[in-house]
Amino acid sequence: MERVTDNDHAPLLEVRDVTLRFGGVQALDGVTFDVLPGELFAVIGPNGAGKTSIFNCLNGVYQPQSGVIRLRGEDVLGRKPTAIANMGIARTFQNLGLFANLDVVDNLMLGRHIRMDVGFLAGMTWLGKARRQEIENRRRVEEIIELLELEPHRHTHVGLLPYGVQKRIELGRALAMDPVLLLLDEPVAGMNLEETEDMARYILEIQQELSLAMILVEHDMHMVMDIADRVMALDFGQPLIVGTPDEVQNDPAVIEAYLGGAT
Amino acid sequence: MTATLDRRDPAASPAGAPTTLPGLLLQRAEQTPDRVALRAKELGRWEQFTWSRYATRVADIAAGLRRLGVGPGDTVSIHSEDRVEWLLADLAVQGLGAITVGIYPTSPPDEVEYLLSHSETKVLITEDEEQFDKAMAVWDRLPALREVVVVDPRGIASDVDPRVRTFADLEATGADAGGSLDAYRASVAALDPEQSAIIVYTSGTTGPPKGAMLSHRNLLAVAETAALAYDATPDDEVLSYLPLCHIAERLISCISALRSGYVVNFGEGGPSFGTDMHEVQPTFFLGVPRVWEKMMASIEIRISDASWLKRRTYRLATALAKPVAARRMRGEGSVLDRVRYGIAWLLVFRSLRDKLGLGRIRVALSGAAPIAPQVLEFFWTLGVPIREAYGQTENSALCTFMPADDVRLGTVGKVAPGCELRIAEDGEILTRSAGVFLGYLKNPEATAETVDAEGWLHTGDIGELDADGFLRITDRKKDIIITAGGKNISPSEIENKLKVSPFIREAVVVGDRRKYLTALIGIEFDTVGDWATRRRIPYTTYEDLSSKPEVVQLVQEIVDEVNHQLAQVETIKRYTLLPKELDPEDGELTATQKVKRAALERQFGDLIEAMYR
Repeated sequence: MERVTDNDHAPLLEVRDVTLRFGGVQALDGVTFDVLPGELFAVIGPNGAGKTSIFNCLNGVYQPQSGVIRLRGEDVLGRKPTAIANMGIARTFQNLGLFANLDVVDNLMLGRHIRMDVGFLAGMTWLGKARRQEIENRRRVEEIIELLELEPHRHTHVGLLPYGVQKRIELGRALAMDPVLLLLDEPVAGMNLEETEDMARYILEIQQELSLAMILVEHDMHMVMDIADRVMALDFGQPLIVGTPDEVQNDPAVIEAYLGGAT
Repeated sequence: MTATLDRRDPAASPAGAPTTLPGLLLQRAEQTPDRVALRAKELGRWEQFTWSRYATRVADIAAGLRRLGVGPGDTVSIHSEDRVEWLLADLAVQGLGAITVGIYPTSPPDEVEYLLSHSETKVLITEDEEQFDKAMAVWDRLPALREVVVVDPRGIASDVDPRVRTFADLEATGADAGGSLDAYRASVAALDPEQSAIIVYTSGTTGPPKGAMLSHRNLLAVAETAALAYDATPDDEVLSYLPLCHIAERLISCISALRSGYVVNFGEGGPSFGTDMHEVQPTFFLGVPRVWEKMMASIEIRISDASWLKRRTYRLATALAKPVAARRMRGEGSVLDRVRYGIAWLLVFRSLRDKLGLGRIRVALSGAAPIAPQVLEFFWTLGVPIREAYGQTENSALCTFMPADDVRLGTVGKVAPGCELRIAEDGEILTRSAGVFLGYLKNPEATAETVDAEGWLHTGDIGELDADGFLRITDRKKDIIITAGGKNISPSEIENKLKVSPFIREAVVVGDRRKYLTALIGIEFDTVGDWATRRRIPYTTYEDLSSKPEVVQLVQEIVDEVNHQLAQVETIKRYTLLPKELDPEDGELTATQKVKRAALERQFGDLIEAMYR
């Protein structure tokens, strides 16, 4: 049987005093937090609070002016997005990063591309290592299909599938990279109640079965408070509080930011 | 009060013939070792097993179970979706002289506890983390339970409990010892066919489940009955998809498969059912009415979505094939009929049937609950000859069958080979056969109420036999509604008329000791959702959709139409749409999706009372 417990309590990800400015706009201001192995960490905040900016710093799209980001003790800042992806940070996109004209299996196989290192000739001739790797990758894709219950859609073009299913495939594509840290950018945006509940279930299952650390950015407060282990609330780029869902919900500063001080 | 008896006696088997299912398995493995017996879709690919591999694996598992201390008379429970391991474990247990109990995958922990405790289960074979957690939650209170075996251990820590092991380990320890097949043969040869082989818990619509004990002889008798009724051959293919702990799927995937030697396929199940059907294209298929109704609804939706030309073609094909179907039900048919159906087949039905996975269907059955004649007519027109069958757990699943060449809609056919049928004074259907069970476990009172001194099984169903021996079932004895006006009404007939509509999933007619009839109606979320989307009616949840005035109006039209076909006292005066989908886990449905009337009337009591105000 597999072990699911992880005794390593050192933080997987350390974010220290990250500051990001666009001209006069302070997008992130002294953001500091840790993500532990296997933890489901959520970032909440009103529109424009800087949630997506954190993701963009984490995977190298933006370069913050100051601060430190370390994954398993290694510096992340200053690296290119591909190099960061190779370190094991994968993300899903709010508005889907899928190929509509490819089927589900091919989309997931593309997610595996980062794990393939076969040369052009071997790939063309389908020999030795190329064959072995393809079979191994296809097997891994099948495991993801099973985990996310995508079996009925295996050979359907992604563009033909309902939005809720596409969101799940998007999640599968990120998982196919075998990440150590998964960034989920509004995984339930635009979903109805039932689809949202399903997605929450899949996220919990991923956390349980793969003991994968995740950072979740989400507007749906019910879902965040239901499933997250810890939550960070942001307002205008500044962290208001980091704590358990209960602590965050009862924090006066958070209530103030969300309700505009109406008491 | 007519008695019908079919003289063919399935119990009269030649000397030396197997008298148990494990015996049949060993015989198959000897006679056709290299024929395919099972297929399973794993990681998206179909893997197959021969009869010889089937028997070897069963023997290894039996050896592994023996090492865990399982012996004659012990109980082993299986808590899993349909999969190859289910059958392997079942036959291993039976071969040891032990007894198999199947638990529904949907059973909540308290029910799991009840079944494990009531059956005094010694070893539990559980599918995965989800089912394992249910057992772990209640293990403390189960002194008889010694070991738990997990088929798919993902997500379960290896050191969770020393009394837990994997199915693969169990099989490997059995295989490592060597000689498992010989040991299995010896223990199968020593089996007493009169002893219990399996216990099937009937998820009663009232009270706790009762454990029906079926002997090896019962199972062999029904195997023979089914073989005579349906002529299955080793070339047939079935898809295992209904819960195996239910006697109907057990009959198809295990009992009949061993007797007739056909191939049993295990797909990916659940939402992949449609894909599984399409890939397997079974030739022999048992559907519960819900499955047929859903297929019919999906076709109707697809046709209404199709282009004008396609709709016209479909109507033309239906018009051509309908009279052919009617003649085929009477066992008639001419060259002209073949041509007519051939045209319809080429135009529409070939691709339609292929999509549904019914392209190769030879024998299609419907059972476990009553089905509306309109649904049967629909499929006969497509060229899918559905034949109703009738039976219960207590007579090993089969006591009437529909002859292929004399199909009478609205009846469940004639007495099956080897069975007897009689209608009691009060209209109750009685059956007698070698398939009649041993009794309910630890419940002699219920057994005595069910089987009388002469061996007649009291089915609890009310029915009548016509002059040609066809049985028509009116309703469950206890479900008959007697209105305040003293009129006897069968609710299921009215409910089935409502459920013919693709928009209605559940209908429960209420009215016992009341002035008039009312109904609780549950919409079919998919089809009504599709209907609403097309009309640009926004909705979020089931409850929201149910409460839309347009949806209420849609259902009103269906109810009005049904009322037209009914006598005045039978009409539905008022109805309420259910605010939620019924769920076995909320105790509203049995595991086989039958509505639990009493539970529903309790839970939605205020809705019902409101209809009588």
